[in-house]
Amino acid sequence: MTSSVLSTLAEYFRDVFRGARSLFGSFMTALPYLLNVNSGDLRKEVTEQYPDPVSSKTADDLPPRTRGLLFNDIDRCSACRECEWVCPVHCIEVETQSVPADAKVWVSKFDIDFAKCIFCGLCVEVCQPASLIHTKQFEGSVYDVRDLKKSFGRGPIGEDQRRKWARAQALDEGREDPKRGEWPS
Amino acid sequence: MITAWQSILNLPEHTPHAVVMILVLIISYLFVVLPCSLIMAFMERKLSADLQARVGPNRSGPAGFFQPVSDALKLMQKVDSPSSNRAEAIWLGIAGMALYSTVAVLPLGSLILLVDTDMSVFLPFWGVIVLTFATLMMGLTQDTVSGWLGGLRTSLRGMAGVFPALIAVLCAGLPAGGFSWSHIAAAQSAAPYHWTAFNNPFGAISLIVFLMSGMIVLGVAPLDGAISFSELRGGTAAHLSGPKLGMFRLSRFYGMFLWCVMAVVLFLGGWSIPEGLTEALRDSNSFGVIVLIELFVLLIKTFAVMLLIVMFSQVTPRMRVDQVTDLNWKVLSPFSLISLVGFAFWTAWLHG
Amino acid sequence: MSLREYLATDFTNWSLGPYHPALPGPMMLRLQLDGEIIVSGETEAGFLHRGLEKALERHSWQSSLTYADRLDPESAIFGELAVCLAAEEIAGIDVPRRAQNIRVILSELTRISSHLGFLARMAKAVGSTPMFHYVLRDRERVLDLFELLTGARFSINFLRLGGVSADVTEGFIERVIDVCELIRIRLKEYNDLFSFNHAFLKRSSWIGVLSSERARALGVTGPNARAAGLSLDVRKSAPYSGYELIDFEIPVGRGEGGTIGDAHDRFVLRLREITQSLEILKQSVDSIPAGQFQSVKISREFTIAPGEAYSRVESPRGTLGCHLVSDGGTRPARVQFKTPSTGHMLTIPELVIGTRVEDISVILLSLDISLAEFDR
Repeated sequence: MTSSVLSTLAEYFRDVFRGARSLFGSFMTALPYLLNVNSGDLRKEVTEQYPDPVSSKTADDLPPRTRGLLFNDIDRCSACRECEWVCPVHCIEVETQSVPADAKVWVSKFDIDFAKCIFCGLCVEVCQPASLIHTKQFEGSVYDVRDLKKSFGRGPIGEDQRRKWARAQALDEGREDPKRGEWPS
Repeated sequence: MITAWQSILNLPEHTPHAVVMILVLIISYLFVVLPCSLIMAFMERKLSADLQARVGPNRSGPAGFFQPVSDALKLMQKVDSPSSNRAEAIWLGIAGMALYSTVAVLPLGSLILLVDTDMSVFLPFWGVIVLTFATLMMGLTQDTVSGWLGGLRTSLRGMAGVFPALIAVLCAGLPAGGFSWSHIAAAQSAAPYHWTAFNNPFGAISLIVFLMSGMIVLGVAPLDGAISFSELRGGTAAHLSGPKLGMFRLSRFYGMFLWCVMAVVLFLGGWSIPEGLTEALRDSNSFGVIVLIELFVLLIKTFAVMLLIVMFSQVTPRMRVDQVTDLNWKVLSPFSLISLVGFAFWTAWLHG
Repeated sequence: MSLREYLATDFTNWSLGPYHPALPGPMMLRLQLDGEIIVSGETEAGFLHRGLEKALERHSWQSSLTYADRLDPESAIFGELAVCLAAEEIAGIDVPRRAQNIRVILSELTRISSHLGFLARMAKAVGSTPMFHYVLRDRERVLDLFELLTGARFSINFLRLGGVSADVTEGFIERVIDVCELIRIRLKEYNDLFSFNHAFLKRSSWIGVLSSERARALGVTGPNARAAGLSLDVRKSAPYSGYELIDFEIPVGRGEGGTIGDAHDRFVLRLREITQSLEILKQSVDSIPAGQFQSVKISREFTIAPGEAYSRVESPRGTLGCHLVSDGGTRPARVQFKTPSTGHMLTIPELVIGTRVEDISVILLSLDISLAEFDR
């Protein structure tokens, strides 16, 4: 009887002591954060302040492989449509227009809908001429969701371009004198 | 005291006492309580941010100092929830009255005590009990589980916490021979070893019991099972928004401020400044300076106590409501009774 | 009427969800309360169903892995790994040793990241905000590693059939070793601050006790089963991707805070698993075999001969199984995932009975359920 009373009392005081001890223990563990005792960067604030002051990371601080917004260099694009095919969410639309035999391919429409894009990187991986790349840009917010559809294409072929091709072909076939020009209209 | 106030405020002699009292109440609220609550709100956020390796508010004012002001402005412009429960409004009014009636007995200095009777130390307890009861009724009138459970839990912890707190107050009153603020202040002096908390070992126990039971009564984390943001989303206050939420938060800060001021006056020497200084100032009839210096000393100590409470509450996980009441009845109450007995013997031995 | 009958109360119905801070994700939890004690509970989920398994049937072998990657956002690689292993088994593709090693490194880093997220959620459940912030700060270092290697923090989309999509970058290995060292130091800090804190012990020991018999009956795997006392780990029982060459132990629950299988035990077990993952990482980065990082480069017409396979991987939540059926075409014919969160959800109605309202959060979050994985 006495022993059980004593043991209950002992357990009671042990409980109280443990509570007080862990209260102080946690406090002492967190105190260096307040006092910044270890002024190595282990205890400093880790908040990246964005977009203000210089402590925030900019796009240049990101690693080279970062999968940011896409960019297509239309001069190198061969319109092979591999990216359109592999995209898991079908956000790329490619259209070409027919051109004379030896002219470069004309990519009239190359639209990426960034509202759908999941930034998986598959399109960049399968791009053979390496025209489609990830930039490090991550700030793409717009006010209207339709503005998220970015165009990298050249647009429809205009009269200027057809005239240039026609002149190039004529020069090849020798129908035209290279020294004679044309008055630009 | 009324004459002291009259001379401070430069009022004509025949001003009715009621007017003076009302003026004093308004002044103490606006110039002491409100700024202290706002400063405390700011310091709590900065302190907890620092402990958590964050920056905290830093845009609103220098180093984010005006953050509570921008919070208040934001809350003012929000629309309150449309379902108005008339019973709830009544209880909210009663709670507000109970809590803010304690401004009358706030011990802010030796010359500016408005009510200096033996019961002035017990009025805050009455206010807090009525506040607890009003919260319980508010919770019961709401139709949500979080209101209902929150109200019940508030009543549990509110009623529980006042018992050890009252015993601790008895301990503080014993060496003073009375419970009016001036008696208690006279029993302590400016030097730390004369403070009730450090005079004898039981004083320290009583101080800790008083502070912890205050945290239980007021619902300060980690003993805040009634608000319990992890699942009750605020208990009885879960549906509040707009100005009412602002008032609710302000009243929580005021409660903590009130309790810490009481703790400082009862146990930590209050506003006492060294005797020589008081004599010199009294001789030169500069009451205003005495008031300001005493207020300054009092507020420094109060803020120190509040910040210490905030720091401890940040690092400790929250306890369940039944564990909180267990802590109260099984730990705080026995310790407070032991310290009461010890205090009684000590006082008898010293004066007997 | 006797006084007792006069004062008897009814049960209260309380349904939490689908969005509630106490729940691990969008799900309904319908409870019957007797005051503060829970009398019965029911779960309902499906709010996060995205049709992943069907989406996998509609895309080629090349692009469908992206969907598998999104099975569970916190442990993305394990979805990919399960599908890759099954597909490689059917097609008979050999994965180079270097690629296997990289897969193990990423798997263990993901396990550490997921467990750190678990620690943060437990801290939030009991209201210890410093612990929450410290843990997430350290998890950012691991996510920085992912971004360095794969280009993204959570949905890494890095595995391909036959290996991985790119080689390790310059300086990656050194950064991994640095981060491991940092986490080792931090674990000690977490233990000082939180793991054996008296208040946390009181909130989580003897709460939500899952016995080993019930764990086995309900199909609970992973850390929850190990905390209950069962010694189950796919990395030991059916090793894949080079785990047979790594020397490590699997921690089993010891019930130090209260009893074996309670919420605190699950917490401490995941702390131990982080330590084990650090061990495995140390062995993996010490000697990465030279060689290719991908054995085949598949094109859009890639087909796999008809067949089926079932692969199992040890995800941070338990055994993730993938049953893959190919009919000879360019797309999977059927993919079915057996996710560990299924077993965990089944335990909820049992575990909440008899506990108090405030324990719901602790129990649910200690099971480390992922609704994204459960609903697919």
